[in-house]
Amino acid sequence: MGRLDGKVAIILGASDPRSMGAATARRFVAEGADLVLAARRKDAVADVAGPLGATAVACDITDENDLAALAKMAVDTYGKLDIAINYAGIEGGAPIIETTADMFRQQADVHFVGTGLFIKQMALAMKDGGSIITASSLTVLVQAPGQGAYAGSKGGADVLVKVAANELGARGIRVNSIAPGFTKSAMTDAYFAMEAVTRAFLKEMPLGRFPTVDDIADCALWLASDEAFVTGQRIDVTAGQALRRTPRMDEFA
Amino acid sequence: MAGRLEGRKALVVGAAGAGNMGQVIARRFAAEGARVAVAGRNRAILDALADEIGGVAIECDFSKRASIFAMVDAARASLDGLDIAVNATGWGLLKPFLETTEEEIDKIYALQLRGPFQFLQALIPAMEEKGGSIIQISSATATILFHDHDAYMATKAGTDHLVRSVANQFGEKGIRVNSISPGVTETPMTADAAAVPGVMAAFVKGYPLGRYGTSEDIAAGCVWLASDECFMTGQNLQVNGGLTLRANPSKADIEASVVAAMAAA
Repeated sequence: MGRLDGKVAIILGASDPRSMGAATARRFVAEGADLVLAARRKDAVADVAGPLGATAVACDITDENDLAALAKMAVDTYGKLDIAINYAGIEGGAPIIETTADMFRQQADVHFVGTGLFIKQMALAMKDGGSIITASSLTVLVQAPGQGAYAGSKGGADVLVKVAANELGARGIRVNSIAPGFTKSAMTDAYFAMEAVTRAFLKEMPLGRFPTVDDIADCALWLASDEAFVTGQRIDVTAGQALRRTPRMDEFA
Repeated sequence: MAGRLEGRKALVVGAAGAGNMGQVIARRFAAEGARVAVAGRNRAILDALADEIGGVAIECDFSKRASIFAMVDAARASLDGLDIAVNATGWGLLKPFLETTEEEIDKIYALQLRGPFQFLQALIPAMEEKGGSIIQISSATATILFHDHDAYMATKAGTDHLVRSVANQFGEKGIRVNSISPGVTETPMTADAAAVPGVMAAFVKGYPLGRYGTSEDIAAGCVWLASDECFMTGQNLQVNGGLTLRANPSKADIEASVVAAMAAA
């Protein structure tokens, strides 16, 4: 018997087989969940969804109508919605003094406004309780130079998670975030190609190895299951790096 | 279906009170396929639990260094290894700050800060070849407040920081160290208070999920922390239905709840 038998889940941000979203999708299907996978690019998410027997939907997290339609697709297809996970994110590295207003707004739009609307629309579709999970970041925890707009928007979203958890508990809805460390995924492949970067990061990881997308999927499975009497929390999957620090750019030379 | 801790060897200390949190954790670990050593001060109760779950009983006084080290050695020897260790000992002292005596401070320090410190000192050498997962039962009150609980809260919070430091130092040996924070839970430790009508009801409104937790909730959190599915270390995990987003009731809240419950009876 699977740990998610009879559960219906949405995973947003699953356009690449190397992504956290795809890894979580594989894990959830193995545990018996029915899945709707979403990403901006319909063709890409369909390629991930197809072999898993999941439903694929195009969804831009910055568009509330898209989010409402995504939730409706889960309910129309599988009769309900129990679990909703948001991994949608965009990179946006720059020192604060070089970050333009548009760059701040783009990060806030995806990570802060997008997460807020995601929680709202998923919660509205959950009629019998549920678990909402969103991706936070190591950068929230280690004051990462060059990641101000990214980390600030992710950190703001973590506060939304806490407030939403406090509000939505009465509906039986749990809301939590996962803070992945420097994880090899579709989004970070370019960094992992630079040995100076990986070496500098690995030195700051007490557990001595990089987190994987499968580690993130395992954490999501736990938070998604009925076993986790946990809400309003950010779960750290940074290999312990949040206990130390993040390397500075000049250490990558 | 294979359990989530199949073949693992686990030590749970603080399991010598019938129905306490340590016992619930030990039963759940066994149900997930682990071989479990249960430890504490009451031999008869430990023997009964060990018989029930096919485990091993080890006597331990957690306020004595030699007893802690002997317990870890005995667990490793009798289980032929040690992958998981949980400290579920505790003393729920309720005493106003100004009235807390030196003897009480010394006693709770010995059990709730020195004991965990020495337990970690004993566990690291026992686990450093193969790695492992160490779990300290902390408390929501290490983060949020509760009246007349100063000595308890301070030692729990101190131990949480120790967890971070030890996790940081020994992660490279494959050892993860975390703590888990229940809120108020119906256990033998809280049985006297819970017997007073209105007391437990006063806590419920502090829980966004609409109920306070159970030892089973904590055991489920421990399974996750203990399993290879958890790649987390140095963290304090809140398994309390969102209590830390709100608060415990004040002393006046509890008294009012008791008065109301008495009036309704």
